[in-house]
This record gives sequence, structure tokens and C-alpha cells, in this order.
Amino acid sequence: MKFLFKKLFGIRFKLVFLSSFLLVIPWLGYLYILEMEEYLQLGQEQTVLGTAQALATALNERPELFNEGSYSPARRAEDLYVYPIFSALELDDGSLVDWGAYQQYEVSYDSQNYLRTSLNPARHYLNDDSVSFKNMVGEYDGSLYAYFKVYDDKIIYRDREALSVHRSDFLQITMLDIDGSGITKYVIAPYGPEPIYPFEVEDDYSNPAFEGRITGLWYETSTGYDIELQIPMQMLGDRLGFTIFDVDDLIERSVSTVVATYKVADAERLGSLRLPTPEIDRIVAGMNHNNSRIQVVDFSGRVLLTVGDIQSATGLQLAKATSDNERNEYWEFLQNQILSPLYDRFLVQPSNDFIDELYSDVTREGEHINSALMGAPLTQFRTLTDTQTRILGAAYPIFSEGDVMGAVVVDQNMNGLRTFRNQALEQLFNTMLAVMLIIALGLFFFASRISSRIRFLRNQAEGIIDEVGRVKNTIIPSKSSDELGDLSRSFSSIVERLTQYTNYLENMSSRLSHELRTPVTVVRSSLENLGLNETNEGSKVYLERAEEGISRLNLILTHMSEATRLEQMLQTSEKERIELREVVNGCVEGYKLAYTSNVFETDFPQYPIYITGVPEYIAQLLDKLVANAVEFSREQQPIKVYCRTLRDHAILKVSNAGPFLPEEMKERIFDSMISVRSQERQKQPHLGMGLHIARLITEFHGGQIRAENRKDREGVIITVVIPLYYD
Amino acid sequence: MSRRIAIVEDEAAIRENYADVLRKQGYEVQTYSNRQDAMSAFDLRLPNLAIIDIGLESEIDGGFTLCQALRSLSDTLPIIFLTARDNDFDTVSGLRMGADDYLTKDISLPHLSARIAALFRRSEVIDQPTFPENLVARGQLRLDIGRLTVQWKEEAVPLTVTEFWMIHALAKFTGHVKSRQILMQESKIFVDGSTITSHIKRIRKKFMQVDSEFDCIETVYGMGYRWNLEPE
Repeated sequence: MKFLFKKLFGIRFKLVFLSSFLLVIPWLGYLYILEMEEYLQLGQEQTVLGTAQALATALNERPELFNEGSYSPARRAEDLYVYPIFSALELDDGSLVDWGAYQQYEVSYDSQNYLRTSLNPARHYLNDDSVSFKNMVGEYDGSLYAYFKVYDDKIIYRDREALSVHRSDFLQITMLDIDGSGITKYVIAPYGPEPIYPFEVEDDYSNPAFEGRITGLWYETSTGYDIELQIPMQMLGDRLGFTIFDVDDLIERSVSTVVATYKVADAERLGSLRLPTPEIDRIVAGMNHNNSRIQVVDFSGRVLLTVGDIQSATGLQLAKATSDNERNEYWEFLQNQILSPLYDRFLVQPSNDFIDELYSDVTREGEHINSALMGAPLTQFRTLTDTQTRILGAAYPIFSEGDVMGAVVVDQNMNGLRTFRNQALEQLFNTMLAVMLIIALGLFFFASRISSRIRFLRNQAEGIIDEVGRVKNTIIPSKSSDELGDLSRSFSSIVERLTQYTNYLENMSSRLSHELRTPVTVVRSSLENLGLNETNEGSKVYLERAEEGISRLNLILTHMSEATRLEQMLQTSEKERIELREVVNGCVEGYKLAYTSNVFETDFPQYPIYITGVPEYIAQLLDKLVANAVEFSREQQPIKVYCRTLRDHAILKVSNAGPFLPEEMKERIFDSMISVRSQERQKQPHLGMGLHIARLITEFHGGQIRAENRKDREGVIITVVIPLYYD
Repeated sequence: MSRRIAIVEDEAAIRENYADVLRKQGYEVQTYSNRQDAMSAFDLRLPNLAIIDIGLESEIDGGFTLCQALRSLSDTLPIIFLTARDNDFDTVSGLRMGADDYLTKDISLPHLSARIAALFRRSEVIDQPTFPENLVARGQLRLDIGRLTVQWKEEAVPLTVTEFWMIHALAKFTGHVKSRQILMQESKIFVDGSTITSHIKRIRKKFMQVDSEFDCIETVYGMGYRWNLEPE
């Protein structure tokens, strides 16, 4: 568990964990973009308010722009808008060309505007569509100008002989007197296409009296006839109406259809003359190239005009999408399949498919408008509940002589900004994702490299020394110039020095014996020389003792170099297939003869055990083990030799009853010059080479040797495990 | 005329001790401490026997070089290596150089003189007819105790004196196991068991060079070696 814990929190994990602090960067970026959005919003607010202000300023102190129409109750269908005209019109040119752009203001009247009069008491539905007209009314230089485009399938002119003026196609002008006391009717019923000749008539169209102030021209067109006329403003009261009477029967000459601009011909219900504000229109139209919807409201909150629509009023011009050839298929796939759905989860994508319920009515309400109409400009954000679209509205009051005449309302939806923000965020996240991916991968690989190098070094370091502390391998010094390389190199040099020292120690006995041999030879040869010459009996005793000492010394030297000699021989020895049981059996038979005071018990299998090895060395190994066992065995206690196979290994055990091994010596007894013999046991010189040689031979055979105390604590077992012969 | 023995040994004490003993036994002994002195003397006159140390003063392998040079001067001159180096590799190298015996300095002086005497006897009797009482025959094996020569299937097997004495000890009583200890005593050397093992190995190899079928020396594990008569 602890190991797992350690593994989990390795260098790699730590570095990746630390690198997760990089996540702060996109967070900061996100905050920055939000901040930026706020600034942009503020900017947009200012822009919108600025637009409103500019417009309001342009409209300031121009009460005439709000004239009449805006002061009267709301416009009725019968009202006539009187558009100011800025150039002189030719009434007698027989064409409407000179009206030019003003024709856009013309109003159509058709069967919907059918009027019942005393001349046509019964409605002639069949003929409803036989007449219609379009009318436009303008004002220039103190006169009211009007034209009528009449669509009539059959033009019936006034009979030249007739006195009555109402038995042909005619135009009737109905107006409130200038003092508002009564209604006056004028009839224009020509004999043919000609300059008009209006008559003032009674209610029943009697007593026509010529009225020369009204001038104009009646001329025919392909679809009917046109009338252009001019009425001086002095003649006009507040209300005015036009009526086209249509006569289709040349013989009977009765009125079949009447189309009028009003519904009822009385002083109250006649259409009022209104002066619309194309000036505002112009001014506002001039501002319309910015992405806003502009509205002008009067002080009662009624919308005088609207320019632009809120759906496309995004306020910001967005960067164009990348052209097709710059697109990358994989990137698109990544963008569409993975990133976009991810971003959509936490970014609200604005939609232009919304309805501004506040704008669906003619009148406008809203805090900002109310505030502006009170005289204080205000901006306001609204969120449409159905689509989460945010709308920015700014209202700025229009003043005239200190009074609030109305307000300019500029609206923009925030979709542009939102889209812009989302794009910025997506771009940021894309970049950050890429950067962090690269950084994380980089760090991961870096950490992996480092930790693998450290692990490699650790494994090497662990592999240097075996479990009993001998130097077995070296460290290959790393060539890299960083700290790990340094560490590796210094490890390598440490190991090298350690190896040298260990070699020195391991070879010390051999070299010592070699070096000692010469002086020993000097002493011995000298003693022998002395012995050859000496005849004195007394001295001979001492000479013999000295020679005995020398031979013991010699024995010691031989033992000391035995291991080294064996190692040299092992290097040149060839292994062969041998039968272990047979070799061990032969050896034990020999020991029974050699160690007469000990009992040997054998436990061999019925089957042969084949190993790869050198029989002489196996015998030598057994010699050492048995010699060791005999030495430590208690009197009359059997020495057991056991031999078996276990899976693919041969097991050889020699056990004796005797003092058990101290725990800490279990591994060390196989080292060179290590002995656990107590002083009093040393009948003959011992250098602790026996078991060391046993281990050398075991390892030469690719096996392992270990010493254990017997379970009954009554002795020691030495176990040798050697791989079986493998064909 | 007394026989002349040359001792080439850089350790003065050992050199003189050996020289004294040999002189007492009636040999004429010349001593040299390095290869150059020895060679210049040998160029003038060859000794009857040479005892050489391997390491000579500054030359680690000076004895080997000297042995090769001597052997090139004389094919029959008995050469004994007497050295502190007891490893197998040096032993094999020394014998391959043409030395007649390879002894370690553990050897006692009486053993050394016995060997010298044996070598002289061998070179003396080389031309004389064989005395039948000196011959030992065991199957295909013929031992000539006087000449210290061995024949296997009528072919001479070139053995050193030490090896001859080992074969003699083994073959004297065929079928008897001789322990390493006994072989050591018989061959008048004093070494450890593994040296005996390598001696036996070398002897086997020499026989097998003559007869690849040779298989008369049996290892009796834990006890020693035994000479088996080859089946008829």
C-alpha cells in the first residue's frame, strides 16, 4: 500500500500536478475576456448613447419637426400627411415626373375607402373595383399641392351642354372652413383633359360658383387620369378630404362608385391635415449606417419613426469567417465534433431569432424612455426571456425651448458582442488547450525521462552489490552533462574504487600467501640446511619444532591461496553432463572411511539426477560441506546427506547436529576468511575458506548456497541448489 | 667429474641455501640472480641441470624466457622450475616451455634432491639397455622405474618426474584407490588436493594424446583415484 502510494507520487505525477497550476492561465484569460466584454459593453453603451445624443442634438430646438401630427391625438386613417416639398412643381406639364421622390409618400385608396353619398345611395358592389386612386399631398411656398392617380376603366366627361357638375367623373374637395364654422365643397368636373375649373357647390351640388384660387391640370393616362392641383394654404382649415366620383354610364350619367379619403363628411370626422416629419426621417436616415435601430418617440411615447430592425442591430461588425481554402479538414472536425459541443455547454450562443415584445406596439415604454422623457438620458439593458438575448437601449431627450419634445431611442442587441466574446473565448481556449497539451506532454515526457533515468541508475546501483555485499557489477557512466549524468559518473567512480578495494581484499589472502612464501622458503631451507649439519641432539628437538611450525605455516599459505587457485581453474573448466547422485554417493562412501568417528545417513532418490558441472568440483564442494559438518557435529550424531530434485533444480543438503548459526552469520559464513569457530575448536589452522570455496563452486554451477538452522534448533543445514541438466 | 647445476634465483637466501645443500651432495653449483647473467654463462657452457625461478628481479616471466632459450640450446638438458607461483596456469605454461618439472617452493630440500637425482639418473640411463627388474607392466602400461619413462601401447608418454611417480603409485597396485594424500607423498610434493586433481587431469590428457580411448585412471569421488586395468 505504501509502495503504491509512493509510486503514485513519483516525479512524473508531481511535475504534472505542478503543471496543473498552468490552468490558472486560461482562467485569467477568461476573466480578462469577461472584463473586456464589460469594457466593450460600456463602450457600446457610450456609443449607443452617443448616437442617441447626436440625433437628439440634431433634433433639438426644432419643434416644427414634431408639429401638429405629434401634438394631436393619434393619426386616423382619414388624416392626410402634408409633406414639405423643397422644389417648385410644374402643374401643367401633364406628368408626375416632377414629383420625383415625393411619390413614395403617396397613399392608395380603393374599394376599402368606398363612401356612400347622396349621389350613390345604393352600393354598386359590382363596380367597386372600377375606380381607385393614389394621392399625395405636399406643401410648398404657402400652397398645398396634391396629385391624384386615378385608375378608371371608363372616363365620362361632363356634357358641354349640362349645367350640373355632378353627372360625370369628378373630384370633390371637402374642407373645413378656415374659421372651423362649416364645410365647403369644391367640384372639379372637366369637359375633357384640360386645366381644372373648380366650382364651389352647395351640399346638393347646386349653384356651382367658379373658384379661381384652386388651379391645376386634368390629363388622361393609360389607366385612367391624373389630376394635379394647387390650393393656397389660406383657404384651408384644419381638415380636408378628397373624393373621386365615378360615372360609368354615358347615357344615364348616374354615379356608380365613390372613393374618398375620409369616412364621414362632417366637421368632426373629416381627415385632419398633418405635417409629417420627413426632416427627422432624413436626419435619422443619415445616421442609419451604424448597426442600430433608431426610433424617435414623442413625449407621449408614441413612435414617430423607426429606422433599422433590432434583429440585425448587432452593434459590432464581426470578422468574416475564414475563406474555404484556408480551412483544415481535421481542424474543422475537431472544432465541430469536440470543441464546439464542449464550449456550447458553458457559453451561451446568441440567436438572432427573437421577438422584441416591447417593440411590437406603436407606443414604447421602458425605464430609459420614461427617464428620457423626464429629461434625463439613460441606457438600459434588457434580457429577452425566451432567447437570452440582451438588448441595449439608450434614450436621449429632445429639447425645444426647455421642454422635452420627445426622445431618440437607440437599440442594439448584444449578440454581436456576445458572439465576439464567445469567439475570443473559443480562440483563447483553443490556444490554451494546445499550449497546455504541449506543455503537459512535454513535462510528462521530461519527467518520464528523468524518472526513467533515475530508475535506471537506481537499478544499476542496486545491481552493483549482491545480497551479501559483494560488488558484482559496475555502473556504466552516463555521457550526459546534467546532474544525473554527474551522479551516474560519481557512482561509477565510487563503484570502481569500491571494486578495486574489494578486489584488493579478496586477493589479499592470495597475495599474502604468495608474498609470504618466499620468506617461508628462506626459513625452511635454512632450517633444513641447519638440520643437515646439526648433530647436537639437544638442538635437533628445536629444529624439528621449527620445521613443524614452518609446515603449518605452509599449510596456512596453501589454504589461503586455495580459493584464488580454484577461481583460476574454474575459469578454464569445461562443464559436462554428470549424474549428481552417483558423485555424491561415491563421496559419502569415501567419507565413511575417512571420518570413522562420525555416522553418515544418506537420503537419495531412486532416479538419477543429471546436472551440468564438473564432478571433481562437486566432490570438492561436498568435501568442504562434509568437513564443515564433521567439525561442528556432536559426537555420535549422524551427518545427513540429502539429495533430490525440486522442479528444475537439484537440491543437495548436508545437515549436522551441533551448535546453531547466529542469524547475522547466515550469509557471511560463505565469505572469504569468515569463520564462526570458537578459539578452543581450532585444533588446526582454519582460515574460513572452506565454505567460501563451496560457494565459488556452487556459483560456478549456476546455483545458490545457503545455511539455515534446523527447525529443531539442534543443528545446521547447508543447502545447495543447482539447476538440472537441460538438453 | 661432478655434475654442474645452475640455480637462477633472485632471492639470495634461498639461492644460497639450495646451493649449499646441493654442494654438500657433491654437485658443482653455479648461482645466478638474473636472466642476463645466466644466459651469458650458459652461452659459454651449459650446465647439466638448471633450476629456474619464474620471476627474476625485474622480469616477471624471465624464467619462462630463460627456459625457452635453454631448451633451444639443448633438448635434453633437465630443467626444473622452482617457484612460489602455484597456480595452474603457470604450471601448464612452464611445462609447455619444455621444463622437466614444475615445483613450488613448498618442496622440502630432501624432496628436491631426490628429484634432481632422479632426473640425472634418467638422463644417464637414457642410452643404456633396460634392466628387466626395473620394468613394471600393467596391461598396456609399461613403467621403467630406472629411466622414469612410461609407455602406453608401446608408445612413450612424456611425463614429468612428479607425474611419473603418481602413475607409479597408482599402477603399482591396480584397482586400489589411492587418496590424494598418498599420491602427494609418493610423488614427493606437498600441495593441496586441487593441485593433485589438476595433475591427474594433465596425466590423463597426456595419455589421451597417445590413445584417445584411454580411460584407466578412475576418479573415486571423495576418496581418490584408481588405476583400472583395461578390459581384455
